Amino acid sequence: MAGVSTKEIKNRIRSMESTKQITKAMEMVAASKLRRAQAQVLSSRPYFEILYSTINEIVDNNSDFTSAYLVKRPVKKSLYVVIAGDRGLAGGYNSNILKLVYAEMQGKNATVLPIGKKAVDFFRARKMPMLSADHMVAEDIGVGDCFTIAKTVCKAYKEGQFDEVFVGYTNFVSVLSQTPATLQMLPLLRQETSRAASGSDILYEPGSVEVFDAIIPEYVGGILYGALCESRASEQAARRTAMDSATQNADEMIADLSLKFNRARQAAITQEITEIVAGS
Amino acid sequence: MTSFPLKIVTPDGLEYDGKAEEVCVRTTSGELGVLAGHLNMVAPLGMGMATIVIDGKKRYAACIGGMISVMNKEVTLVPTTFEWAEEIDVKRAEASEERAKKVLADKAAEKTEIRMAEARLKRALIRKSTATFVNN
Repeated sequence: MAGVSTKEIKNRIRSMESTKQITKAMEMVAASKLRRAQAQVLSSRPYFEILYSTINEIVDNNSDFTSAYLVKRPVKKSLYVVIAGDRGLAGGYNSNILKLVYAEMQGKNATVLPIGKKAVDFFRARKMPMLSADHMVAEDIGVGDCFTIAKTVCKAYKEGQFDEVFVGYTNFVSVLSQTPATLQMLPLLRQETSRAASGSDILYEPGSVEVFDAIIPEYVGGILYGALCESRASEQAARRTAMDSATQNADEMIADLSLKFNRARQAAITQEITEIVAGS
Repeated sequence: MTSFPLKIVTPDGLEYDGKAEEVCVRTTSGELGVLAGHLNMVAPLGMGMATIVIDGKKRYAACIGGMISVMNKEVTLVPTTFEWAEEIDVKRAEASEERAKKVLADKAAEKTEIRMAEARLKRALIRKSTATFVNN
């Protein structure tokens, strides 16, 4: 009886060890990807911030509401661009962002534009209307793709298919903390707190409608790219942390099992000796 | 000459943050020069060469897409791509030019392909001309 149990424990230890090797390898892959993603976030952040503040400044000082991008319409349909990962095993990364966006969508007539395989799968399973499911692989999307997506989104908004557009992404706060968030991209609204048109009129070259028509898609593209960089770094950071704790758990279980194994072996030896002694 | 604060940012990072005396860019409605004390202004950028005067020295760059804004005497340039003339890879631009020309010569090419090739050709030509302009 003791023999069977040592064998069983041995098998479990072996399988645990191979799992540990996998999680360890995944952790190391994520760590190296994280380094690259982190560098990308750091270099794209000034662009993201300056673009955002410049556009907001322009909008706040704007007193001309002829552009469709700046006018609030009664909301009938909303569009959510949701950025998640392509693969699982990244702790709560995918479920956090998807849950947040899904909760926000309730009660709205919402359409999604998912980016990343996990996002596509999630919304497909819930039978949400999708603008397109072409962006299955979040890892391959570059700046150019962001601008293409932005153009499509802006066109749909201008044609009145949607009355507001949000982006759902994960903010990369630090390696240990990532927070999911949503950001309204369209329409661009004047903040109530901003000084009311203080006579600092802006010159639009050639005209305000042309300027906004040209700039807003660029702005949306830039924001999307920034959100994508943040999300990608968050995914790698989340995966690294998850895999690190998985490796630790495996270590703990292996230690526990080896203790049990040694005890079982000892018990078997003791039993054998007792039998021999009793028989002589 | 009086200088003004200038910031140039692209998705690849902060290209320049400091003082400048003059910025000359190509907007969608033509060449535009900005000096210190310019009125608040916004304009979308086209494709072309940008000239920036820093400490009396002219620097050239290929500047494509995006926008320029002047706000409270501060100039912000937010292009989609921005490359200083010295950093342009002429060989790459030439290769891209060749590829685009090949697509344009192809009668069977699709409309979207042609449009993309045209844009690529234009970008490549701007890069090339900016780089050669500086070298001569």
